[in-house]
Amino acid sequence: MIRFRLHTLFLFSGLLLPCIALAQTPLVIEAALDRQVVAPLLEAFTRSHPEIELDYRDRSTLEVDRQAQRAPAPDVVISSAMPWQMARVNDGLAQPLESKQARDWPAWAKWRDEVFGFTFEPIVTVYRLELARHMLPPTTHAALYRLLVTQKKRLHGRITTYSPTRSGVGYTLFQQDARYSPRFWDLVAAMGATDVALESNTQDMLDGLSDGKYWIGYNLLGSYALRWAQTHPELIVQVPKDYALVMMRMAFIHRDAPHPGAAKTFLNFLLGSEGQRIIAGRTPLFSILADVVGPYTAQRLRDQVGERLYPIPIDASLLAFDDAQRRDAFLARWNREIRILEP
Amino acid sequence: MITINGTLKFRLALWLLIAVGGLGIFLLIEAYTSAHRAADRAFDSQLEAAELTIADAIQWQDGQPVVEIPAAAFQILATNQQERVFYAVIDAAGQEVTGNLKGFVQPAWRKEAKQNPVWLTIPQDDVAIRLHGRELDSAGWESQEPVQIWVGHTLSGRQALASQLFERSLTRFLLMVLLASLLMLLAIKSALRPIRRLRHLLRRRDADDIRPLHAQVPAELFDLAETLNSLFARQRESRDALLRLTADASHQLKTPLAGLQSTSELALQSTNPQTWYQALETVHESAARTSRLANQLLSLARLRHASAQTLESLDLGTTLRDCVMEWAERDIAQHHDLGLAPLPSSPVRIKAEPWAIREMIGNLIDNALRHTPRGSEITLGLERGTDEVTLFIEDNGPGVSEAMLDRLHHPFERAGRQDTLGSGLGLAIVDSIARRHEGVLRVQRSTTSGLRVSVRLSLSGLNEK
Repeated sequence: MIRFRLHTLFLFSGLLLPCIALAQTPLVIEAALDRQVVAPLLEAFTRSHPEIELDYRDRSTLEVDRQAQRAPAPDVVISSAMPWQMARVNDGLAQPLESKQARDWPAWAKWRDEVFGFTFEPIVTVYRLELARHMLPPTTHAALYRLLVTQKKRLHGRITTYSPTRSGVGYTLFQQDARYSPRFWDLVAAMGATDVALESNTQDMLDGLSDGKYWIGYNLLGSYALRWAQTHPELIVQVPKDYALVMMRMAFIHRDAPHPGAAKTFLNFLLGSEGQRIIAGRTPLFSILADVVGPYTAQRLRDQVGERLYPIPIDASLLAFDDAQRRDAFLARWNREIRILEP
Repeated sequence: MITINGTLKFRLALWLLIAVGGLGIFLLIEAYTSAHRAADRAFDSQLEAAELTIADAIQWQDGQPVVEIPAAAFQILATNQQERVFYAVIDAAGQEVTGNLKGFVQPAWRKEAKQNPVWLTIPQDDVAIRLHGRELDSAGWESQEPVQIWVGHTLSGRQALASQLFERSLTRFLLMVLLASLLMLLAIKSALRPIRRLRHLLRRRDADDIRPLHAQVPAELFDLAETLNSLFARQRESRDALLRLTADASHQLKTPLAGLQSTSELALQSTNPQTWYQALETVHESAARTSRLANQLLSLARLRHASAQTLESLDLGTTLRDCVMEWAERDIAQHHDLGLAPLPSSPVRIKAEPWAIREMIGNLIDNALRHTPRGSEITLGLERGTDEVTLFIEDNGPGVSEAMLDRLHHPFERAGRQDTLGSGLGLAIVDSIARRHEGVLRVQRSTTSGLRVSVRLSLSGLNEK
């Protein structure tokens, strides 16, 4: 009897102690970043900061952007829709982060010390292994275009890419593609001719590819594709050899963050050496820091694919992609070009 | 008593400080505003460039302005300071064709922009932004409506540049002040060197060295050196006068004493009591004269060296009348016609030492009696001016030569005559008393060929007309 009491007492005190000692601070993160991809990072954060209770909300870029402009404001906003993130910062919705980690962050990957690009995700082309049995797999944008033109019949319905209207990332990638070469529109027209399937996220494209529905996926997020390919040997991930876009997830602390202290702690963790080590070692997101060691670092990617990586610059030019008229004009042209070769 | 009233270095430094301070405030205000102007100019031109870039991208399509904002426009607007950027393309109806200003541009500003390009600095949320608007006429197929382009950005870059520019001018200014202070110290040191030299020169002199200074001094110190020299000269004069007086006094005392000696010797050789009596009479007379001489020497010395007594107000008319009455009764005056000119009806008040004034009048009368032949007329009187009074004495005696007039007030000067009974100190005493009362002694010929001696004294403020 006495033993039982002692036992329960011990149990109770063991349960109560952390609750009393650590008043839990909630931290609301609105993120367009798959929870399972980023899980190791979140776990490490919870371990080193048990006093902060993470409320991680994994949503689409569109929904994240909507939440950022709505009350109650989240604490941290993470999204891969770079122009939208930049637009929210330009609207004054972010607050600056003053810390050593923020100061040490590379200048090309931050803006106003308010928003930080913390991943380095190459944009890749993914094709099924059986494609190689029929034709030479494309390694460049031009090769893909030639393939689409020459194998139009065989590839009909087998091509997938982002929908520029339903995905903020896809729209940004196409805008950036169009900036680099006017021949991009030929590619769009060629894809249109094969009755391209437009998906709203990388995972859907990967699913379709694995199912055998699609043979070639264009402009997929390398981070997701590489991870998927590890367990799906039928898929080959190709980093284009002429140029490869690089997308950076951008994170900022909301101006009206209800828990600014916890938000700063999280961002400092994310940008600090510990968070970046986890990103480089246990997520396929690629750390941009040069002094971080791991399988997924920007430096290692450069070593593997050479100097043809073109990160989408984090600067005011991103705002152009968010301009309503420019967007309308771009989508109008997209719709025109994608139908232009239809029989 | 010499009191130290600050140092020259301190005074010069204080003035420098005031000058630098006043000038500095002005310069710094100027530097501040011009730094801001320069920063504004630099960043305004960025706004202008961005606006031109956007203007270049405007086209007309289906009766609507269509603009594909160039990404470069945003980079120009954001500048290297990563400003937040604002832009809007507004059509003739006031509708925002594209942009992120969301109706922030007021109708009044749009109206103004129709005339001229508009520059505004306005607070938005909690930060100020600089806004630039301009109207653009663009040709199109269906319509030619004007379009307004508004661009703006936050001010952190301007502020950073302005404070950087201002800091630079501040540093320059402080360096200048430092340099000026150093130069000023050197200048003070070199400017004060002649004073130090003069001090050394004076310190090296012997106590009784009263030769004039021979020194090179700057113009500002010339007055001081000159004053020192004239002080030395006066000292020299006064020492010479003292020596002369002493020598003269010895000489004057020696003559009657020698007379006494010889008279008494002659008398001693005689056995005749008659001779002794005569000798004793001579000795008595001579002794009286010598005693008077000694008295006068004493009063002269006292006048010249005693410090001033307390002055009191006295009526000069009454004093003069009393003295003349007194003297008229004396034996010595029995052979002269001693008279008084009509005196002013009201009292003539002066500030003076009464004994000195009486001594002065006495000396004047004594002097006149002794140096004029019997039967001469001697007249005293007062002439009253507005704020001064002249006491005069005139005689109709033989007078003195023109050359002697200026020297008569020197001690032992007897108008070249050694035959009279005077000691030669009378006018010297009068002169001393007159100087003591800040009066002026004048010796001139009288209207009746004799001598006129006058003393001008200032009236005290108490006089009523």
